[in-house]
Amino acid sequence: MAEYRTHMKIIGDILSTTRDELQDIDGATVTYLIRKANISHSRISRILKTLVSQGLLEQTDTQGSNKYRISQSGREFLQAYYTFTKFADNFGLTI
Amino acid sequence: MEFLLENILNLVGFLVGLVIGIMSIIGFRNTGSPTLFRLTIAFFSISIGFFVIWFGYMLEDFVIKSGNIERWIQTLGIIIQTVGYFFIAFSHSIKSFFPKSRHFRSIGIFPLFVVSSVQIEHVFRSVSFILLAYGAIETMLSYFENRNRGAISVAVGLALLALGEFLGWYSFVFPESILYSVSITIKIGGLIALFIPVSKVPLTKMKFDEDIE
Repeated sequence: MAEYRTHMKIIGDILSTTRDELQDIDGATVTYLIRKANISHSRISRILKTLVSQGLLEQTDTQGSNKYRISQSGREFLQAYYTFTKFADNFGLTI
Repeated sequence: MEFLLENILNLVGFLVGLVIGIMSIIGFRNTGSPTLFRLTIAFFSISIGFFVIWFGYMLEDFVIKSGNIERWIQTLGIIIQTVGYFFIAFSHSIKSFFPKSRHFRSIGIFPLFVVSSVQIEHVFRSVSFILLAYGAIETMLSYFENRNRGAISVAVGLALLALGEFLGWYSFVFPESILYSVSITIKIGGLIALFIPVSKVPLTKMKFDEDIE
């Protein structure tokens, strides 16, 4: 059975991909993030738009394609996400 | 002896609930997670519940001295604590029964409890016992999935609180026995077990929300 991921978990996966698994210094393409985060194009588009507007991701326009990389706020959010995932795990819960 | 134990329990409960509640609200302000929001409500309720009982006892014993306020204060404190236990159980029920339903995740599902008792305090002790037992079982089940050792300590803590509630409720049948003192001691142990894994979460490494710090 496929594992159900919360919205927060998907955001964590996207941010960690843009932090740890970049193939290009300019950032990750939407296609690369779709493959890594394993979600649909329409859903990831909405999430990326939110993350950019919240300042967690930086969007760059390179050779006509949008690329995304993690911002300093994004790194801090990701650290908080890992810390409180562990905190919630102690109660048998997922954030 | 019973008075001293009860005061220790109420103060430990107040402090443990407050610390876990503050950690939960820091987490909620930093991540926006609804789970952490529910934990915030849960542990602040538990903390306030213990504080109300402790404050009521102090007020009655050292200021009012009327001899009839304690039962109502205790009932009020237990009701507030039950709200906290409900939110812990509710978080587990969302995870277990409605993992994909946005509708059920957005509204409260109040479980139905069939209870018969003449006193409100007995009713809420019964409800607390059910909620705590459910929380303990779900936490232990999550340990089998994740193998996170902290979950064992929390499950034991919730189970001890449930046992303490049960013995506290049962002590009404034998009011002069040692049962009530045993119940209080077990609940203090439960609160300590609840706090152990949470105290190991490395909060010092992260940047707290500016409003909280």
